[in-house]
Amino acid sequence: MKTAMARPLSAIGSVVLIIGALLPWATFVLNDGPYPDKATLEFFDAPFGLSSFRLYLEILGLAGIVFTFVPVRDKIRVLKSIGWGAAGISVVNLLFIAGDGGGLGAITAADGVPAFGSIVAVVGSAVLLFGAYQLPPEPLTVIDSKLPWWAEWLILLAAFVALLFLITETLTAGGHSGVSDPYIGPLFLSYLSAVGALLGVLHAFGVTEWISDMSERHRVFSIVVLVLCAVAVPFTSVGNDYWMTITANIGVYAATAIGLNIVVGLAGLLDLGYVAFMGIGAFVAANLSGAVAAEFHIQLPFIVAAIASGIVAGVFGAVVGSPTLRVRGDYLAIVTLAFGEIFVRVSQNNIGGLTGGSNAIPNIPDLSLFGAQFNDAPTIGGLQLPGGVLYYFLIVLLVALVMFVFGNLKNSRIGRAWIAIREDEDVARAMGVKTGKLKILAFMTGATLAGLAGAVFAHKLATASYDSFQFNQSVTLLAAVILGGMGTIPGAVLGAALLFVLPEELRQFKDYRLLFFGLALVVIMRFRPQGLIADRHRRAELADEDTTGESLDDTAIKEPVAVAAKEAGA
Amino acid sequence: MATLLQQIVNGLIFGGLIAMVALGYTMVYGIIQLINFAHGEIFMTGAFGGLAVYTWLLPAEAQKIWYVALPAMMVGGAIVSLVVALLMERLAYRPLRNAPRLAPLITALGVSVFLQELTRIVYPGANSAVPFPNVFSAAPVHIGSITIPSSGLLMLVVSVVLSVVLQTYVNRSRMGRAMRATAQDPDTSRLMGINPDRVIVLTFGIGAVLAGIGGVLYGTYINNVDPYIGFQNGLFAFAAAVLGGIGSIRGAVIGAFVIGLIKNIADIYLPGGTAYDYVWIFILLIAVLVFRPQGLFGEVERVRA
Repeated sequence: MKTAMARPLSAIGSVVLIIGALLPWATFVLNDGPYPDKATLEFFDAPFGLSSFRLYLEILGLAGIVFTFVPVRDKIRVLKSIGWGAAGISVVNLLFIAGDGGGLGAITAADGVPAFGSIVAVVGSAVLLFGAYQLPPEPLTVIDSKLPWWAEWLILLAAFVALLFLITETLTAGGHSGVSDPYIGPLFLSYLSAVGALLGVLHAFGVTEWISDMSERHRVFSIVVLVLCAVAVPFTSVGNDYWMTITANIGVYAATAIGLNIVVGLAGLLDLGYVAFMGIGAFVAANLSGAVAAEFHIQLPFIVAAIASGIVAGVFGAVVGSPTLRVRGDYLAIVTLAFGEIFVRVSQNNIGGLTGGSNAIPNIPDLSLFGAQFNDAPTIGGLQLPGGVLYYFLIVLLVALVMFVFGNLKNSRIGRAWIAIREDEDVARAMGVKTGKLKILAFMTGATLAGLAGAVFAHKLATASYDSFQFNQSVTLLAAVILGGMGTIPGAVLGAALLFVLPEELRQFKDYRLLFFGLALVVIMRFRPQGLIADRHRRAELADEDTTGESLDDTAIKEPVAVAAKEAGA
Repeated sequence: MATLLQQIVNGLIFGGLIAMVALGYTMVYGIIQLINFAHGEIFMTGAFGGLAVYTWLLPAEAQKIWYVALPAMMVGGAIVSLVVALLMERLAYRPLRNAPRLAPLITALGVSVFLQELTRIVYPGANSAVPFPNVFSAAPVHIGSITIPSSGLLMLVVSVVLSVVLQTYVNRSRMGRAMRATAQDPDTSRLMGINPDRVIVLTFGIGAVLAGIGGVLYGTYINNVDPYIGFQNGLFAFAAAVLGGIGSIRGAVIGAFVIGLIKNIADIYLPGGTAYDYVWIFILLIAVLVFRPQGLFGEVERVRA
């Protein structure tokens, strides 16, 4: 009975969605700022258009109809992805037009002009979703066909190039180089929803898993291609000073987030003062950079200063980690939080003249290599590259290094021991894992990586200020790790990218950034504690799913887990 | 000598404030082993709730009469805190009752950031510090060379009275016994006919009311509030709860007074002065956690996952 309704409902929803996309969306022309093309918001206003969010909705609606009737595997996941993507686009644009157009009049009817497009689209996607949820759940599709190696290489290459294209498109969705386009927010979010729907459908078909398995089989090749893709970014449409700076910042935070992922994701030790290690690295590098305000007036080569930053941060990591020998879980989180606060206070007070206090350490000299200043725009073989591109390359190198460390540790004896500690410390100890040493090692490794990132960060910003290393930054990094998925590399990178790109794209909502972070943490913990890209074992642990992603029978698992948790807590 | 005595008095006043917040931490932890990071924000919403009552609900003539204005503000602050805390428990924590332990802790962090930002955005003018009326402006008490501000004295008295009432309630009343039973063994207490959800809601509620009253008194004492007061004072309160032995009511109150005294004495007598008083408290907190995790009055540490 339930299933019988699914097909008609999702078909009707899809049709309504297409109708909604074709109707007018705003009753009057919004005039919001000087941006030449979009000042009149014509695509909100002109019906039958085939661009931007209308196009996405029309495609999603068509896909909805097609997948409702064509027999595909795992129909529920496919239709759910389409439905949520469409709902995202419709709701975002509805809220934007209503909010910016000054109320309900903008999205219903005013001055004899009807514009019910957004409401119809929201209803359509709701019906589609309702239909999709009537379908019976299916196990995740697995494609396990193996191709000859050259075919797999070609597929991987195509996948990574497509990924590069998606990323550059995402960055430039709704305008280039940060020109203040007042509509950048909804444009960007619409694009993001559409991409999310696309990835969801691919995931339902098992394509994403297939490609990730393939990249697992050809690890070296994938890493080379990934690095090449990253190096190719400055030559694409985002190759300008603005995006070089943003992507470099994302890179620094991604590297730090991967480091935090070792501590939180692998070893399961919650660190709430992690950004302090980045701060320590930044201040060490600043003091050894020959900046005028620095305490030591020596200028070491960057590579030496960066290693020194890593070592000093690592030593602090070991010191902060040492209470882990006696303190567990929540208490450890508090120790790290207290350490983070001590760091902020101490550096704010310019202890020993090392941190510059509230004046910070300004004018850290630009890095240079073979006479090329890193902030300049170099010309290679007659090709003019954007400014700051050398920092970008340096940071790509840093991220690659951190990924390399993380990937190798995770699959090593040490990594397995960390995961054992995370799952159950007492059992791990009973099995002969030296828990104390390994926990300190986790803190040390994480801190060293953060210290390195901090050194690059100081030179990139040319300033080291205590203000960049406050508790909020630690929360943001933690949110990046959790949002992306604990214990995975792509997760940490994706999380950092989202948390540091979204504020750029959504500058008009900048004030609400932390509000959304807080809400996101709560919502993720409630509905998807394993994060966007879940580690298979982590997922099994957090979401009552087995390693194939299939939901286990609720009654079978809930009770023993609850009892076990109680016993462990008592 | 006079300075030392003055600092001790200031320390006791500050300790009284911290005690009202620390009780919420210690009770919630005692029942569900959750460090409710957002409890500091409950205190902060209480302060803003009291301010809102003063600004928008009280007529101008009532604002001047302290024995009308102050109780009204305290009730208003307590109600706001109570509503926020119960919503938080219901929407954020209860769904995670059986989740791995990291999950509710991260949720608590999220709630904390969310409440700070929500207050900053929603409350008019809360982007910077908002002036708080000095409702209780009786003349300060002089004993020898020591000056005790009247609002500070009030805070100390209210805090001690509420702590004693709470201790008696938990030790003597039927519901108090249910709370202690749930803290000891939730499964067995459920078998004995205790509804753990009710006990947990009651615990959150009591903690929130105390924190809300504390927030209003803090406002009248310091005379301005901002959305971030909860974070810092929450940390102090948490330190106090840990110092006294988390889960113990008496411990939290004594821990709060110890923290208050250390802060105010460090301001004058320890190297670095006021700029470093936070540092000393956090160092003490780390030392306690490392060397005596059960705190001064806590039970011997149990093995926890």
